[in-house]
Amino acid sequence: MLQAQQQAQTTDIESRPAGTVAGRLLRAVRSGGSNSTLLRQIALVSLLLAAIFPLFGGSFFTRLAIEALLFGCIALSVDILLGYAGLLSLGQAAYFGLAAYVAALMYLHVTQSFWLVLLTASASVGVFSFLLGAVAIRAKGVYFALITFGVAEILSKITHNTRAIGGSDGLIGIPVPSIRLLPGLEIEFANNYVFYYLVLGTVCLLYLGTRRILNTAFGSVLRAIRDNSDRVPYLGYNPFWYKLLAYVMAAQIAAFGGLIYPLLRGFVAPHLFGFEVSTKAVVMSLVGGVGTLIGPLMGSVIITFLESVVGSYTERHLILLGIIFIVFVMFLPDGLCGLAQRTFGAGRKVKP
Amino acid sequence: MEDLLAYLHFVVLPQFIDALIIGVALALVALGLTMIFGLLDVINLAHGELYMLGGYAAFTLLGWGAGYWSALVLVPVLVGLVGWALEELGIRPLLPRADRAIVTLLFTFGVSLIFRDIAQVIWGTETRSVAAPLTGIANLAQVFVPIYRIFVFGAGVLAIAVTWWLVYRTQIGAVLRATAVDPSMVASFGIPIRLVYGFTFLYGCGLAGLAGVLLSPIYAVFPTMGHDFLVMAFAVVIVGGMGSIIGAVVAALLLAQVQGLASLWIPPVWAETLVYGVMLLVLVIRPAGLFNRLGEA
Amino acid sequence: MIRVIDLSKSFGALRAVNHLSFEAMPNCITSIIGPNGAGKSTAFNLIAGTLRPDSGRVELEGHDVTGEPAYRLAKLGVARSFQITNLFFGLSVLENVRFACQSLESRNRFLTRLDRLSAPVRRATEILEEFGLDESADQLVGNLSHGDQRRVEIAICMALTPRVLMLDEPTQGMSPAETAEIDTLIKSLAGRVTVLLIEHDIDLVMNISDHVIVMHQGRKLFEGPPNEVRASPAVREAYLGAEHAAA
Repeated sequence: MLQAQQQAQTTDIESRPAGTVAGRLLRAVRSGGSNSTLLRQIALVSLLLAAIFPLFGGSFFTRLAIEALLFGCIALSVDILLGYAGLLSLGQAAYFGLAAYVAALMYLHVTQSFWLVLLTASASVGVFSFLLGAVAIRAKGVYFALITFGVAEILSKITHNTRAIGGSDGLIGIPVPSIRLLPGLEIEFANNYVFYYLVLGTVCLLYLGTRRILNTAFGSVLRAIRDNSDRVPYLGYNPFWYKLLAYVMAAQIAAFGGLIYPLLRGFVAPHLFGFEVSTKAVVMSLVGGVGTLIGPLMGSVIITFLESVVGSYTERHLILLGIIFIVFVMFLPDGLCGLAQRTFGAGRKVKP
Repeated sequence: MEDLLAYLHFVVLPQFIDALIIGVALALVALGLTMIFGLLDVINLAHGELYMLGGYAAFTLLGWGAGYWSALVLVPVLVGLVGWALEELGIRPLLPRADRAIVTLLFTFGVSLIFRDIAQVIWGTETRSVAAPLTGIANLAQVFVPIYRIFVFGAGVLAIAVTWWLVYRTQIGAVLRATAVDPSMVASFGIPIRLVYGFTFLYGCGLAGLAGVLLSPIYAVFPTMGHDFLVMAFAVVIVGGMGSIIGAVVAALLLAQVQGLASLWIPPVWAETLVYGVMLLVLVIRPAGLFNRLGEA
Repeated sequence: MIRVIDLSKSFGALRAVNHLSFEAMPNCITSIIGPNGAGKSTAFNLIAGTLRPDSGRVELEGHDVTGEPAYRLAKLGVARSFQITNLFFGLSVLENVRFACQSLESRNRFLTRLDRLSAPVRRATEILEEFGLDESADQLVGNLSHGDQRRVEIAICMALTPRVLMLDEPTQGMSPAETAEIDTLIKSLAGRVTVLLIEHDIDLVMNISDHVIVMHQGRKLFEGPPNEVRASPAVREAYLGAEHAAA
């Protein structure tokens, strides 16, 4: 029954003229692995909910939702590595923090041009992730996790100890610029709703772009690496470059979140590099469903809101986070998307 | 020349002795981590919180009027039991999973968050101090060292020696080493692997508890003490080689000296950063650490 | 086709492979046999790029390929299977074979969407038919029977259209009936590809090989056609002697 409905929907989409923007977008959403139908529906429903959210949310929660989307970028980048290349990074916050600091310093001392800041932050994260990736990827299994953990910890310490970039207080008073999207079209970050839709739109594009890239020959090599990394070289692929590319790409996505963060909160601090942020991103992808791409974004929204709500009652919200963590690790390892798949989906089981 | 000798004697030597004591305590925490990893492939991120628990347990027991010496015996046992319960309830069900290294790491991380917050609920966020049972200062060739620190050093060395003896000179140790190499082989001899794993957790976490008690009079007790110490202990285990007993001890002594002596010349916060730098360097040059895993000679 | 010259490899004090030289002729089946610990697998690993030799050379059609990493050897046309089944267990049979076929695609199709990359799927389907695996194309490899998994192992090697096919105990753990099928399969491949085979099943080796190399304690003890190997007293002594001792 459900299958038939899905079938009908699919043909419906296919019969549309391919040229229209809507048609293209739909096809982009549609493409994906074997269990993509349900994930696609989840993605569409989430997008719909996200699109109408500010109508009910009010400005506090709208800003919180922006934060959730920004942290969602780290979760998405964790998922690219863990869900597709089988690499557990415990230091993805390093790129979020790096981009946030570069952006903050640029705004404070160099320029107000968003595009210039974007370029600098992206380039510095690109170079850093390439170098670190080249080192970390040579290490196997848990050592990769430990190296990424160690580097993020060092960055956190260095920012913490360097007075020139604010030391333990971080940098405050970052001006909120406006973006020149097109000549004559300026966008104000000061308006919460404009800010929200801008971030939502960009995160959607990042999601779709990631999906598209992972649904290629490149993505299939990553999936094979996750499944059995040792066998891959004997089929003529050098796993190193594939992993490195995935790593650099994931870093860029985390960096986008970091780049916007100072505009939202007006400050940056060493904790943005920290272990807590990195591991929270892992929890987020775990809660949503590793290897689904949409799951981590959902997970980020859930965790961020939960933390904020619980945090307003008690400072001890870590207990809750820990319990959620343990419950998902032990009983729901494929996350909410996996749960949805088992409840509604017919057919194949989600890959862990 | 005289100046140099005096500098070495009165500036470098005291720092060296201090770092030696920290190194021994660090080795206790790192030993547990490395044993657990060597046998179960589990990275126990809650290990730092067990060390913290050791400190708080000592604080509470002393508050109830128990003597320090009874706490010194009781606390490692209590913390060991907590570790054993973790293994029994949480780790064991996850071991059959193909990605056990990752899921157990995530599980223990969740546990560490819970423990850290529970500690704040029970004991508050402020720093608690524990009185040292030994007072007085020894004069070792003009270097003044509190007697309690000398005791900590001695107790730590003793615990390390016992661990070494246990692993390399006893029947239990033979089983542990064999399990690290091939658990199914050991199981086929009719030895219950679950007991071996349980014991490893009990013992390893007990060592963390012991370190917690020993250091509590020196550094006092506070909720993030575990996290701070764990990051350092990780650096130790990585440098020494994940799963290596000797590596953990050597690297703990080495890194404590790196940090201790470096802070003579650079600000202490940077000395700590330097330790991670050393760790990273070792990871790059010898990803598997300086020493081999348990059981691999 | 593939030539091994004076190859040596030690692990600590153990000389696993000791001055080994031989040549595998094009489109023939060359087998390496020998008692356990003779160094067959190490020799295989040295040729396939899993291990680096301490000394000696490996030549592929006259080109030196010593110490080349596995992925480059695979590109040059050396495909190997593994003694312990080594596949993508979480992917379907078709995906396994398709993935191997895909490595032949040019690099600029790297970011082509999978559903537009039809050539590898077509070829994979052909290969599955040839190997009698088309029925289980959509099953996860992890759910296949051992015999079928061994067959997928050979199928993904052939998907690389190799010039040299290296099979490491392809019948390991198989029933006699399944072994007979693999026997026929390997024979049908000879003529298309140079086969280098390690096998414990002596009957199979004697039945299908054109040339047999006998290794003992890291050295080449004997080489020749199957009938000469069977007749050699030295081989009998070393091989059967060791087999008896092991039994």
